[in-house]
Amino acid sequence: MATGDSKADILQGTLDLMVLQTLASMGRLHGYGIARRIEQVSEDAIALNQGTIYASLLRLQQRKWISAGWGVSDNNRKAKYYAITRAGQKQLETEARSWQRTVSVVGKVLALSGRSTKA
Amino acid sequence: MIESLRVLRSRIAGFLLRRRPEREFDQEIEEHLTLLAEENTRRGMTPADARLAARRSFGESTRFKETQRELRGLPRIDTFVADLRYAFRALAKNPGFTLVAVLTLAIGIGVNTTLFTAYNAIALKPLPVPDPNTVVRFERWFEHGMRGDIQYGFSYPEYEYLRDHGRAFKSLIAAGWPVPVSSASGRLAGQMVSGNYFQSLEVGAVLGRTFLPDEDGAPGAHPVIVLSHNFWKRRFNLDPRVLGQTLKLNDTVFTIVGVTPEEFTGTLSLERVPDFWAPFAMQAQLAPGLDWLHDLERQRLVILARLAGSTMVNRAQAEATVLMRQFASSHQEREKTVALTLQRVTYYGNTDDLKFQALVAALMLLVGLVLLIACANLANMLLARAASRQREIAVRLSLGAGRGRIIRQLLTESTLLALLGGAAGLLLSIWSAKLLWIQVQQMVFGSAGDIDTGVSLAPDSRVFLYTLAVSVLTGIAFGLSPALQFSRVDLTSAIKQEGATFGRRLSHSRLRSFLVTGQVAASMLLLVIAGLLLRGLVRSQDAQPGFQTRGVFVVSAAFGDNPAQAAALEKRVYERLSTLGELEGAAMGNIPMTGTWTPPILVNGTRSRTLASTASAGYLPLLGIPIVRGRNFTTIESDRGAPVAIVSANTARLLWPNQDPLGKRFTLDMDFTGKIMSEFEVVGVAADVRFANLSRLDPAHVYLTGQPRNFSQIVIRMPGDRERGLAAVRAAVAGVDRDLLQSLAMFSFEEGPLRIQRVLAQAYAMFAMILAALAVTLAGVGIYGVMSYLVSQRVKEIGVFMALGANSSDVLKSVIGQGLRPVAAGSLLGLVCAAGLSKVINATLIFPGSADFLYGLSWWDPVTFFGIAAFLALVAMVASAIPARRAVKVDPMVALRYE
Repeated sequence: MATGDSKADILQGTLDLMVLQTLASMGRLHGYGIARRIEQVSEDAIALNQGTIYASLLRLQQRKWISAGWGVSDNNRKAKYYAITRAGQKQLETEARSWQRTVSVVGKVLALSGRSTKA
Repeated sequence: MIESLRVLRSRIAGFLLRRRPEREFDQEIEEHLTLLAEENTRRGMTPADARLAARRSFGESTRFKETQRELRGLPRIDTFVADLRYAFRALAKNPGFTLVAVLTLAIGIGVNTTLFTAYNAIALKPLPVPDPNTVVRFERWFEHGMRGDIQYGFSYPEYEYLRDHGRAFKSLIAAGWPVPVSSASGRLAGQMVSGNYFQSLEVGAVLGRTFLPDEDGAPGAHPVIVLSHNFWKRRFNLDPRVLGQTLKLNDTVFTIVGVTPEEFTGTLSLERVPDFWAPFAMQAQLAPGLDWLHDLERQRLVILARLAGSTMVNRAQAEATVLMRQFASSHQEREKTVALTLQRVTYYGNTDDLKFQALVAALMLLVGLVLLIACANLANMLLARAASRQREIAVRLSLGAGRGRIIRQLLTESTLLALLGGAAGLLLSIWSAKLLWIQVQQMVFGSAGDIDTGVSLAPDSRVFLYTLAVSVLTGIAFGLSPALQFSRVDLTSAIKQEGATFGRRLSHSRLRSFLVTGQVAASMLLLVIAGLLLRGLVRSQDAQPGFQTRGVFVVSAAFGDNPAQAAALEKRVYERLSTLGELEGAAMGNIPMTGTWTPPILVNGTRSRTLASTASAGYLPLLGIPIVRGRNFTTIESDRGAPVAIVSANTARLLWPNQDPLGKRFTLDMDFTGKIMSEFEVVGVAADVRFANLSRLDPAHVYLTGQPRNFSQIVIRMPGDRERGLAAVRAAVAGVDRDLLQSLAMFSFEEGPLRIQRVLAQAYAMFAMILAALAVTLAGVGIYGVMSYLVSQRVKEIGVFMALGANSSDVLKSVIGQGLRPVAAGSLLGLVCAAGLSKVINATLIFPGSADFLYGLSWWDPVTFFGIAAFLALVAMVASAIPARRAVKVDPMVALRYE
């Protein structure tokens, strides 16, 4: 099934991870808020097509890692707010750990190949 | 795992409530864009620019909505539903096309379903009992390979042995072959069964009860019977008061204890439903003078077993075979049984029978051809339709639809069509199966009345499944190639609609020609077969057997089951009848056209087959078969069963070419095993007649004196006053033995066996004609369709021709020529196939007992072959003339503007 485990896996996974982390650190946010926050944190290194955030939000919702509900925004308009769930917290921890492991392994490998080309 | 379940659940929910999330998501995006725009305004943009910039950084919102939708719901079902809706709309938009396609398929599928229904009713339907898969029937295999119904016959001691020693069965059931029993209101057919019959089959009673276990105990102690529903209805008008009533059967008073349900039609194979069932313990009363219960030779009962589970068959079979061998080693039996097999009980007993299988295969092939023709039509129509929709397809492709999506769409459409056709075909087949059954009953039994053979032609789940499978396969198989071809178009030219103009050959025209060729070939084959059978039918109706049939009657009676006593009694009746002044004569011998005995014949070491039959001295004169050489049997010879023979003229020519056959000797292998070889001396040569069947003079026939196998029956010739003759016969038989009157039966040869021969020819011809008529109609429609399409594709080209000065006959020639080329090829192919088939069937005539469906017509009958070819050509001409005329009427100016 097309649950998103396709070629763009890493990128997608990364986006999901970032969304989870954002919600974990910021609490309840609406889609725009999440998108802005990710852009700010990345210091605009990630030029997000902001719409893509919604696919990620739906995926996370379907896995019950985040919950959604309607609320009123700062300027008194109806908006949909997302919050991380307990399961989402747990998932975030595992994902973060595995991400760090991946980064360190890849880093080591890159360093190794760098040495070998020098020598 | 849990995760993916969660996803699936949310998807299903999304699929079911798809409207709300859609609207909500629109709102969410709107809000997002507004926030973005506000942010942009804060940075100093004008509101319009802000809005645009917001849209830019948000990305393509339709695409997100699409992704969202796919993630949310069940995309496959969604697209399927969309495809289906689209297909329905497309079919509804073109009702003419849809109607023709559905009808075409309905005919093709309907014919196949009808045959399958019949096959299902006979060979596949299980017994009408609960859990039929655990009921098996015993079939025995003899040492010398004797085949046929006798393989299902067992003696009561054999049954007892298996019942008492078997461990692998839940229960073992015996059911005798039906016996005729006399009652106050005529003969009834009763079946003796073991006491556990109904209980083990789990058949209850709709009224009263079935047998109690102890009712099959002490012989003669419990005169009880259970009536069949059919008999209850026929005789007692469904009166519930029959319970406890008595019936005098033979000389014993029986009490009616119950009635079986309507759907229980017994466990016999292809026989009528018995009128009543009685326990085996009543055998002496129901079949007096016999001892079924102890007689080893009387192998007249069918053994069924109820197994604990359907997986037990192999174990039970192995055990039964061992037991049977043990039994054989301790008892003296006629013929050794080497193995037992257990088969699932279906309506028709011996479905492994080669003849039965060959017949089914031949019929399947014929009706399959009709379906193939229908499918070729469908494929052609789909091709034409896809071609006219090329532009639509191209537009959809250029808007970004994937090729797979287009193919799926087209396949959905063709499958939908096929399913509609299948549904219509199913209705058609229910109706036609009924009609066919009435027709068959009328032909075989002379009436479609109360003969209950237990065959049920009501469609069951197997029939539905079969039709569904055929429909879906048809839809996919014949929708695939148009779908593949037309989803691979050159977009620019298709959109500009240059696809099919100006002499440019369409890439798919070869497929189209191939389809027409195949279609024409198949209908040609069917037509030739029908034509040949029809010619045979015409000849059969005035074919004469070559002997005198007027006034010939066959006299039969139940002379008893003891062969020696029966033969003696029959002989006494015959002798009494031959002295009867009221008759023109009486003789004993085999009855023509009622079955054949074709033993191997050896002459000087050369082995061949011949038809053989018995004849008393009076037989040949009675039937008016002249002796052309030598002499007839003498009365002494025929009484003693002397080893002399009269051969037919053909036989003499075959065995002793250019020699005098008189005094020559030959040997017959009497039981096909080489065990009984009898030598005969030729004393006479008889004229050739049609004895085995009406279709031809027998290629080889020897008349013997009646020994050692006595299958003879009494034949008499009635005087002009038939009533007087019949009365005289009755009186004479009563003079010999009054008890015989009960079972005395006389039938006219002309109204019996001879009529059946002619009816059979009618049946074959009718069947073939129905198929051929359907085939030629379908092929006609197909050719018409292709021609119309070709013309419509070439309108522009024709317009240019005409503008350049071509006259209408040139155009006509070119159009018809193009259209008829595949027709010619198909005709030729069909003719060759038909000739081949005809030759193969013709080759079976070497066997002396086989029938000649063509009644002496050459297998390559020029009248049929050329006649049918001409007929089909005519159909093709007519079918292509209408579109061709349209081509001629093309107005060049209109054609050139045709866009």
